[in-house]
Amino acid sequence: MSAFTEFDQERREINELLEQGYRIVNIEEDLDGARVKFMRSGPVAAVQVLQLLTADARKHVTTVLPGIQRTPEEAVESSV
Amino acid sequence: MADLRIELAGIKSPNPFWLASAPPTNTGYQVQRAFEAGWGGAVWKTLGDPIINTSSRFAAVHFNGQRVAGFNNIELITDRPLEVNLKEIYETKKRFPDHAVVASLMVEPKREKWHEIVKRVEDVGVDGLELNFGCPHGMAERGMGAASGQQPDLVEAQTYWVKEAATTPVIVKLTPNITDITVVARHAVKGGADAISMINTINSLAGVDIHTWNTIPHVGGQGAHGGYCGPAVKPIALSMVAECARDRGVGVPISGIGGISTWQDVVEFMLMGATGIQVCTAVMHHGFRIVEEMIDGLNNYLDDKGLASVTELTGKSVPKYSNWGDLDLNYKVVARINQDNCINCNKCHIACEDASHQCIDMLTNAQGKAVLQVREEDCVGCNLCSIVCPADGAIDMIALDNGAAPLTWNQRQQLIGNLNHTYSAAEVM
Repeated sequence: MSAFTEFDQERREINELLEQGYRIVNIEEDLDGARVKFMRSGPVAAVQVLQLLTADARKHVTTVLPGIQRTPEEAVESSV
Repeated sequence: MADLRIELAGIKSPNPFWLASAPPTNTGYQVQRAFEAGWGGAVWKTLGDPIINTSSRFAAVHFNGQRVAGFNNIELITDRPLEVNLKEIYETKKRFPDHAVVASLMVEPKREKWHEIVKRVEDVGVDGLELNFGCPHGMAERGMGAASGQQPDLVEAQTYWVKEAATTPVIVKLTPNITDITVVARHAVKGGADAISMINTINSLAGVDIHTWNTIPHVGGQGAHGGYCGPAVKPIALSMVAECARDRGVGVPISGIGGISTWQDVVEFMLMGATGIQVCTAVMHHGFRIVEEMIDGLNNYLDDKGLASVTELTGKSVPKYSNWGDLDLNYKVVARINQDNCINCNKCHIACEDASHQCIDMLTNAQGKAVLQVREEDCVGCNLCSIVCPADGAIDMIALDNGAAPLTWNQRQQLIGNLNHTYSAAEVM
């Protein structure tokens, strides 16, 4: 599988969760990549976890954090 | 025609081209011929207690037909008495009053030794002093040169002693044989340095003769490490100049040295923060007259850029030199192969397959002709294919706009840190 295909698969999984109303609440990075926790609030809170392996997906997941579509400086400030 | 005059920490010169302290500045005869050829300044071969040299003292590294890609020497400082050198410096300065004559100095790290040589040298009218804390061989074994230059406190103390006695500007020449050159540069400034110069030569062994098993060079079958210079060291020197230029704790003018052979090299060093430059190896290879082409080339470049003075170059690229963590992770380039210029040598394919990300395919087009094509979505933009490509214009690296906002590693880590902090706080509640 090409690197892009691997990344695209992980990106789709991230985007699907976001489209379903999940938001990223926690990112833990270690030797095996990034473990990203998604949470959807509601009567019963739902949690999903993705283990991201590709570098591009680990980059992508931070570009979809709230506020990142503004300038990085603004995004950093807004997330404080 | 642009104004090529520079002033480095008060030392005036008709152009930025100086000869570095080395064999080409050993005598008044040589320096005066250099000035006649067009050099704007010269740093006299290092003065100190006269030494005794070995015979067989230079060696070079030739690479793929390029003579003297790198140059190695085990020659020490001047072997002539101080008074002989001073007489020639006086005569040279008298003949060329508008040229910069700087005396390179090296003595034992003792206050009275520095005071003595500074006074005697300044008495003959030098424009400045350069303290040699960089020579890596021979003198270092005696506690001087790089041995001094590798101890920041000793650099600071000796610079201070020189400044106690000196009335002319003091340049401190730094060794690259150290982990972080900015540390030593800052200590030189704390000691009172008016300017710094870099780099001196890099510890080296030019080679080993695989037939005789002798080192290259060898002195009767024995070798010792030398100092490496020439075109091969230019990237190392340029990086060290840039690091000092962007360090606010340094903040003094820089004389750039290290592999400078062409006017383009001069422009690069000045853009990265040098006020002027020094040359040695290129002169040892091609002679003093290379300066004519350097002057012409620099003049034409400045005219083309619409710059009135060479001083306008200094430091212009420094703001573009940053830390890795401040680079935009979302900046994206990909390779594109121009089929009109591609010679189908497959070098790019091999490099990509064996050493990068396997994204250049060997295909056959509708006419049955072999073509190389980049799968752009898999290309990481490493540049390797364009580096190994022997055909001009066959591979371009194209910047793509992927719509993503700029995001550096440092910003990313801060975002994740903030996210996780908020999550932890919520969990506690």
